Parts: sequence; C-alpha cells; structure tokens
Amino acid sequence: MSQKETTWRYSFVGALFAILPLLIVLQVFRIQVDPRQSEKIMIESQGWSSFKKTIQPARGLLYDRWGNLLAGNRTVYEVGVELQFVENPQTIAQTVATILDVDYADAYTRASLEPSDTAVYAVLADNVLQADIDKLSVLIEQMSDAYSGGKGDNLPSLRGLVYTPHLGRIYPEKTLASNILGFVSRENRGYFGVEERFNELLAGKTKTVLVPLDPNRVQEIPEVPAGASLVLTIDREIQREMEALVDSAVAESGSASGTIVVMRPQTGEVLALATMPRMDLNEFWRYGDIYPKDTPFNRAVSQAYEPGSVYKILTMASALDAGAVTPETVFVDTGQIEIGGTLIYNWNMGAWGPQDMTGCLQHSLNVCLAWVATQLGPNDFYRYMQAFGIGHLTGVDLAGEATGRLKAPGDNDWYAADLGTNAFGQGVAATPIQMATAASAIANGGVMMAPQIVRSVINSGYQHNIDQRVIGMPIKPETANTLSEILAVSLETESSDALIEGYRVSGKTGTAEIPTPFGYTSNATNASFVGWGPTDDPQFLVYVWLEKPQSSVWGSIVAAPVFRRVVEKLVVLLNIPPDAVRHRLTSSKGPQQ
Amino acid sequence: MNHLETFAQTYAQAPWRKQLQLIGLFSLVLVSIALVAGIYLNVSAKASAVGRDIQAMQRETEILDRDIEDLQSQLAIVLSYDDMEARAHKLGFEPVPAEQTVYLNIPGYTARPPVTLAPNIQRTLPSAPVLPAQYTESLFDWARRNMGSISFSLSEVRQ
Repeated sequence: MSQKETTWRYSFVGALFAILPLLIVLQVFRIQVDPRQSEKIMIESQGWSSFKKTIQPARGLLYDRWGNLLAGNRTVYEVGVELQFVENPQTIAQTVATILDVDYADAYTRASLEPSDTAVYAVLADNVLQADIDKLSVLIEQMSDAYSGGKGDNLPSLRGLVYTPHLGRIYPEKTLASNILGFVSRENRGYFGVEERFNELLAGKTKTVLVPLDPNRVQEIPEVPAGASLVLTIDREIQREMEALVDSAVAESGSASGTIVVMRPQTGEVLALATMPRMDLNEFWRYGDIYPKDTPFNRAVSQAYEPGSVYKILTMASALDAGAVTPETVFVDTGQIEIGGTLIYNWNMGAWGPQDMTGCLQHSLNVCLAWVATQLGPNDFYRYMQAFGIGHLTGVDLAGEATGRLKAPGDNDWYAADLGTNAFGQGVAATPIQMATAASAIANGGVMMAPQIVRSVINSGYQHNIDQRVIGMPIKPETANTLSEILAVSLETESSDALIEGYRVSGKTGTAEIPTPFGYTSNATNASFVGWGPTDDPQFLVYVWLEKPQSSVWGSIVAAPVFRRVVEKLVVLLNIPPDAVRHRLTSSKGPQQ
Repeated sequence: MNHLETFAQTYAQAPWRKQLQLIGLFSLVLVSIALVAGIYLNVSAKASAVGRDIQAMQRETEILDRDIEDLQSQLAIVLSYDDMEARAHKLGFEPVPAEQTVYLNIPGYTARPPVTLAPNIQRTLPSAPVLPAQYTESLFDWARRNMGSISFSLSEVRQ
C-alpha cells in the first residue's frame, strides 16, 4: 500500500471524526436558536426530571369549648388510572364498581381513554377509605400473581390502577352539632355553618411546587402551614342533650321541626344550637336527601318566622325604657282595639278588664301590647326594635344567616296597622338567633352581646381568644331588671309549665299564627318560649321554637315544658346551684371588700 | 552558527528522554483527571445517596403527618359522645334523673376554664424568651459590643 493511499484513508477517517462533533454542535446550535425546539425539549426534560406537587395543608380542626374534637382529618385515597399502563379497562371498571360503589359505565369510559400528551391520568373515585383500599390492594396483588406472564388480549388485569393518599375530613361525633359545623366537599370547600363561614381560614393556603426527581437537585419542600383550628363556644354535652330534647319535643308534639338555642347572656357565647333535620356529616353526599328543596340547613340562623307573643317582651321593654308605661300602669282591656283601621283582638277573643303591665304579659294580651305600642309611638317603637337588632344580621359566626324583616314607617309596605300587630310579634319576621340575642339584652342588664360561636383561633402554634363584643345597649339596666322581674312574677302567678323547682326563671311564651298568601287562614302555629335564669343572676338564656305543633297549638302547652326540661339539664351541666344554696353560699362569703 | 549548533547539540536531550517526559506529563494529567473525577464521583455519589435519603424522609414526614391526623381522629372517635355513652351503659352507669340530682358544694373547687390548646398569643408574646445575643450577632457585632463595654468600664474607672 502506497504512502499516498494511506494518507488519504487517514484523512478520511480524520474528517469523519471532525464532522461528527461538528454536526452535534450544529444540532445543539439549531436547538438553541429555534425557540420551538428548545421549548419542547425543555418541557419534555422538565417532565422527566421533576413533577408538580400540590401541597394541600391539613385543614384546621374544630373543637368544642372543652377541647373535644368535632371535626378532624383522616387519610383517604384518590383512586385513578394511569392510562398508558391500562391493559383491561373492563376489569378495572368492574373492580372499582364492586368495591368502591362507583358507576361501572363511568369508570369504564374513564379507564378506556386513549393516552395522549393531554390524557395521562383519570380519576375514578375519591375520599376512598383505608378499608376499601386494603381490599383493592389485595385484589391487585392476587390478579398480578394469577395472570402476570399470561398472553392474550382479554386477560383480566388491574395494571394502571393506582391510589394516592391525602387528607379528608372526618366528623367523629357524626350528627352532633352538624347544623353548626357544616361539611367539607371532596374539593375541600366548606359548605354551611362554621366550615363555610371560615373556609379560607380553615383550609389554609395551597402551594404548588416543582419537585426534582434527581436526588442531586433535591430541595427542601416548603413548609405549608396548616389551616387555623377553631375552638367553638359550643359545649358538646349540652349540645347533645339539646338535640335529644328537640327530637323528643318534636316527636311528642307532632311538630314539623324544632329549634333550641342556649346562650350565655353575659358573654353572648352560644352553648348549644339544636335544630333539625341533622345529618351525619361524614356522608355529606346525602345532603340533598336530608335537606330537600328550600329546607334550611340551620333553622336557628337561616329561617325567619313570625315569632308571636315572645316578641311582646321587646315591646314592653321599649315602652318601659322610654317611660311610656310603668309596671303599675293600668290598661282596661275591652277585648279589642283599633289601630290604623284594623281591629286587634286577644288570643281568646275575650276582654280581660283592668290589667297592669304584669297582667298584660302574664295573660299575653294582644290588645294591651298594641295599646302599649301606641303609647310609645311608631318612631320610638321602630327605633327600639332596630336597637334590638330586629331586621339586621346578628353577625353570628355561621354561614347563611337570614336578616328577617322589620317593616318601618316610610317603607312602601308599612301601614299604620302594623304598629299594632308588630307589637305582639305579627307582621315581623325574625330568626331564633335574632330573638335570643334581643332577649339577652333584657337578661343581661340592657347590654346586648353579639352571639358568638367561635371562641378561639389557633394559628401558627398560638391560641388567640376572640373578645366578646357588645353590639348594643337598647335599654337601661333598670328597665331590664324591672322587666325580668315582671316576667318571673308572671310565670309564677300563672303556674307555668316552664317553672323549675329551686330556680327562679323569667320568660314568655309565644303562639303565632302562620301567614299564608291569603292571610292568617291556617290553623297551624309556631309555638315559642324565651326564658332565662336564675332571674337575679342569669347564667343561661334559652329560646325554644316548635314549628306547627299538632298536639296543641299553644306555646304555653308545648314550648314551655320544653324550656323546663332544658333548664333541668342546664343547671346540672353548668353546675348552677339552686337559688337557696347560691344565696346561702353568697351570704356566707360576706361582702367583698 | 556552528557554535550555536554545538551548544544546542550539547544540551539537547536524547529523544527517548523527551518521550519519557511527555509520557510522564500525560500520565500526570491523566492521573490528576482520574483523581479529580474519582473524588467528584465519590462526592456526587454520596450527595445522591443523601438526596435519596432526604426524599425518603420527606415522604416519611408526609406519612407521619397523615398518621398523626389519623390517630387524633381515631382518639376522637373513641372519646365521642356516643361511644362514651355506650361504654358507660356497658359498665352499668345510668343517667341521673333531675329530681335525684343534688347540688354539692365542695370548698376550694373552681369551675374548669374553657380549654387552652396552644399558648395564648396575648400572654405569650410579651414574655417570649429572647435568644441570647451570641446566637444572633455577627463577629463584628460581638467585637463592637465588647469594645463598647470595655470603653464604658474605662470611663467609669477614670471617674
């Protein structure tokens, strides 16, 4: 072989080796210069080198006032399919339909999706419990052992079926306080009650981060603070007892529904708020069945109704405070009074003769209270009603509060006759929480506290106790004390079913006709009772409402005994000594210096 | 010119010596590269192993966080009203009727306050422990602080 030939061969090999890196450099340059290419490669490389992780902080917990957990979190699973690995969609659909109770056709459609750049994964079920996942994983393992290595298109296979754990809501007390708590959907959104009202605070802030798969590029996953936890003012034991009492009262009276509100008048803390229907919050998907169309989730805050005679305490409080009447003022009841061209009668259509203000309240005389309102005059009457918060939101820490309705002079639908009817709670709509809040002003020496459900917020490791708020002083302390005494005397004189042995209480019954589109033509009523005690040092305020009772239409017959049963439970649960014992204990301590 | 050639020839190294030097130099570079590559591989392997450990621990942390939530909820279920009531019934306890309830005054007993699940922010912040300066100050801060205290002591001595 000549030297020339050898040189040519060497040159050829050399050139080849030189061209190859040159081509690589050119390709690199082309990719760098062409933005579409570089972007595509960047996206692809990112897809393989890292994954997007959404960090969902643990939802804040809900506790009752003693630290009993009312809403917590637990591990649940999202079950889905990785489409590129799916071998037999029928097996997958059949399995999840059997074990997880999902629709077969829907699961089959999802599992049969053609994998593509945009279709990688499909969700089949969420909020799946550990027990079901255990069954699923056993089945996956068994099927893998039985059919792996087999050949044929129709072999059963669960390949591609995956499950991912995450936290979901759990309510250990099931139905207890369900109307207060509300529930959380699969999308981690709160509905109703505290869950909706404080959704953002409880949910915390979700963060999405890019987590590299390369261990050399491992980064600290950012700390995402958990959602704030809330301590409620609710007392679990009292709540449970009130719910049992509501259920039994509704069953005994044949009512359509019942509501009991228990508050501390000095602070506005709501100790219990029992109503119906209630639901097991762990099965929130049954909401539609339990609350059919237009059924409020929490009647105590969302359903305004004409309260009837319990409203008379507000009329009397206003008149006494303004000096329009005194407890000794005598009204001669002739059985009817005309106001604004409308005749107003008493509940029994009778004439009660001369009555002082205690007698007017004791016998619940519509005519007398309508007259009292005229003595006060419309301007002062409605000014007082607004000061009591009627027709305004109380600001209670629950979602879906209704404002109620208070017509006032100047409104298109207000007539002079309304002054007379409003005086005894007709033609005015208020929610139980509004009525309880307004009445708490009388129980608490004229000071009206905001109804409070959330006592403390626990955030970033600290507990912040929320201050109780005064939302008004509609009447003077002496007026409140006077009226409290009048109401106690009227219950005692009447030998009301609301009286409790050993404890002096103040209160008022209410029976309200229910308006229909044609007027007060129905025989159905709303029976209510509002009361507080002990009269000289009120520790609790109770509002009872029974809707359309069947056993009797009168509040004094169906609602007053419920109040007594409530108080019998409360004095034990709140450690309130009988009046005699309390007075003895107070006197033995002597005056404080 | 001859002198120059003679001089160059005199001090010129033998070809085998030049080759040896080149080979030695090449080997030195090769060994150095191998050494650096070895160290790099070792360090990066260790870093990768640690990275994997961190990833595993991050996953473990997530699992533990979920376990804590699970246990807390399980405890709440065990202590729930219905469960407690059922256990009490099983143990022979019965609810006391109102008429059989007697108020008993126990001297010294104070009613339990509502629960405090975390330090109260209003009470904690003013009395929060302050980290000693040694943990937060820089060397320069330390020197300046000490210089300041020394000059203060000196001024006291002068007075």
